Amino acid sequence: MRKPPTTPNVSRRRLLGTTAAGLAATSLGACATSGGDDDTEDVSVGDDAENPFGVDGSAPLEVVIFDGGFGNEYAVQHEEIYNRAFPDAEIKHTATQAIAETQQPRFSQGEPCDVLDNSGAQQIPMDALVTDGELAELTPLLEAPSYDDPNVTVLDTLRDGVLTAGTFNGKVYALNYVFSAWTIWYDAALFREKGWTPPETWDQMLALCPDIQAEGIAPWTYAGQHPVYLYDMFLMLAGRHGGVQVLKDIDELKPDAWHNASVVAAAEAMYGLWEAGYILDGTPGIDHIQSQTAFNNHEAAFIPVGSWLPNEQKGIAPDGFEYAPMGVPYLEGSAQPGLISAGGDEPFVVPEKAANKPGAYEYLRIMLSQEGAQIFGDTVQAATVVKGVELDNPAAKMTDELVSNPEDLFQPRFRFWYTKMNDEVRPALGALMSGENTPEEFIERMQTVADETAADDSIEKFHHDA
Amino acid sequence: MRHGKYPFILSFLALPVGLYAWLVLLPFAQAFQISFTDWSGSSNQFEYIGFDNYVNLFKDDRLVLPALRNTGIILVVLPVVTIALGLFFAFMLNIGGRSRQGRIEGVRGSRFHKIVFFFPQVLSLAIIGILWKQVYAPENFGGLITGGLEAFGLPSPVNGFLADKRFVLASVIAVLVWSAVGFYLVFFSSAMASIPRDLYEAGIVDGAGRFQTFFRITLPLLWESVQTAWIYLSIIALDVFVLVYMMTPGKGGPDGASEVVGGVIWKYAFTHGEQAFASALGVVLFFAALSLAVVSLRFGRRERIEF
Repeated sequence: MRKPPTTPNVSRRRLLGTTAAGLAATSLGACATSGGDDDTEDVSVGDDAENPFGVDGSAPLEVVIFDGGFGNEYAVQHEEIYNRAFPDAEIKHTATQAIAETQQPRFSQGEPCDVLDNSGAQQIPMDALVTDGELAELTPLLEAPSYDDPNVTVLDTLRDGVLTAGTFNGKVYALNYVFSAWTIWYDAALFREKGWTPPETWDQMLALCPDIQAEGIAPWTYAGQHPVYLYDMFLMLAGRHGGVQVLKDIDELKPDAWHNASVVAAAEAMYGLWEAGYILDGTPGIDHIQSQTAFNNHEAAFIPVGSWLPNEQKGIAPDGFEYAPMGVPYLEGSAQPGLISAGGDEPFVVPEKAANKPGAYEYLRIMLSQEGAQIFGDTVQAATVVKGVELDNPAAKMTDELVSNPEDLFQPRFRFWYTKMNDEVRPALGALMSGENTPEEFIERMQTVADETAADDSIEKFHHDA
Repeated sequence: MRHGKYPFILSFLALPVGLYAWLVLLPFAQAFQISFTDWSGSSNQFEYIGFDNYVNLFKDDRLVLPALRNTGIILVVLPVVTIALGLFFAFMLNIGGRSRQGRIEGVRGSRFHKIVFFFPQVLSLAIIGILWKQVYAPENFGGLITGGLEAFGLPSPVNGFLADKRFVLASVIAVLVWSAVGFYLVFFSSAMASIPRDLYEAGIVDGAGRFQTFFRITLPLLWESVQTAWIYLSIIALDVFVLVYMMTPGKGGPDGASEVVGGVIWKYAFTHGEQAFASALGVVLFFAALSLAVVSLRFGRRERIEF
């Protein structure tokens, strides 16, 4: 921070020096690393249920939406609701895929937008934003009365476990708006036709694989170029076997967390699929589109993807294809066989330095209203984190059954908490499933990077239930 | 006209120099400044941490060290292969043909070849990336090369070339060569056109074959062009990022096998939120490029031949 000169005693040399410094400072003022630190206002929840955050109806609101799989039509409709309450507010709506490119510089200038849908491949790293204190806590939003019923808080309108993904050390910084689960998909129609039962356990699955192969179908495929699609499958396999604590230990970088017998068993099981030749040839070299196309064409029977798959395939799926989700088949002796990776996705954040913070909270409150959530459900056929919104497709109903027990919902977090871990787990899973790494090598690499991360003081550490 | 000459000249220079300083020099200077901080890139807060970033650079054996190694390989292979092929093709298309009635010309259809070779230059790198990604794809996903090898009963990588650690870097370099060679073919062709024909005729009269003509006459007289090409290609080699980003699994994989310095800078700056670390690597790259240019200009200097 610059300080004003303390001595008023001005000599010629000093004058020249300070002028030069001042010039340098002003010229740098136009650049990335400068910009003032604005005062940030704290938003508190008032008594007025209609306008709990005390929104200034004439203040403009700037909303930036990630224009990806969900488009941005839903946001336009949410903005209309906002304008219904505050007709004078001018809303600037931006829809883009280049979130980091367009928004990161604005954070560093101290002039961010008001509401940011920080999603997609170009997401600004959440851990960096949180560590830098660039995000506003969403507690006022959660404590505020809900849009539809002043006697119920916003928090109580949400489904279980959906805040976890946006929680960093016990503080909620992101509202993950879409409810999604990572599951294994199969074509129910194909399974009926062939008389196959969707396997509950890993052994049942292994027993079914030869039958599948006999039909000229490979049992498994996945997005080999993006091995992150294996992340939840692998971790759920381990977590189901040893219980959720195994995964919490991994997330919290506990010593020897990766050496846990359940984690090793899961790695061996995954590697076993490759060893037995149960993975579609060429899978490590294909991307998510190619793998999903192969799945649609009945080249493979199972594929690990998130619950958005049926929506994504709408219009592409062959006639008669019935997308059906199941949990990853659990290993013999599993302690928590119902465990499933489900929760919020698509993080919406309010920058700490947002110009219109009350407006931003109000906008999020509108998103979480019954009407707002139904708009999202109707336009993109996906569930939001709001309770009680009905979706009219069989896959969504089956997913709802899988995620019905709140105790069994868990999102492994280390890849979001620690970019360094994320960078290692992706290639490591790819190497494990293509036979490049043995399970022992895989476990060692992950344990090594976990230990390095734990030992690095410059990395802020996060915990579950802090 | 002496009076007022300098203000006149300065008025022309002010705008371009000003723009250059503002848009090129200042960001460069800032990268130096940032590289000594712990700036994440998404905040306006940072602290100066001295040379820590530079020290940590050379301890990073997951991204930075493989990237330096791979960029080094590209830096050697790309110019050598591209220049060799460019020279060979240019020679064949301009001089290497059978001499008919004492006239020196290229092989038959040389104009057609020149255009065909130049095609890749017209395509944007993004398109080239998508194109070759498909060419290198696994056999059962329509890969051209894998399919071709299979058709002849030859072994091919089952997951395609780009998902195989052994082949991925070579595959990327091959695409770079393919896309660059056409330009250098034309570049060398025009340089060859300025070599007086009588030199060749004299050579041929003295009984020189194609081989000797090339090494004794063409190459020495093209030396300056070769040198220029070398510097251009070296800069491309240091810069290669788009193809790796477009084609390879995990934008530098599989498992880091095709990481390059440009890509690692991007990863640190935008996916890790470590702008300062990325800047430090950028500064290293800057000095590498600078010393490369200086060295190749210094040591490549030869006597200029007037003709």
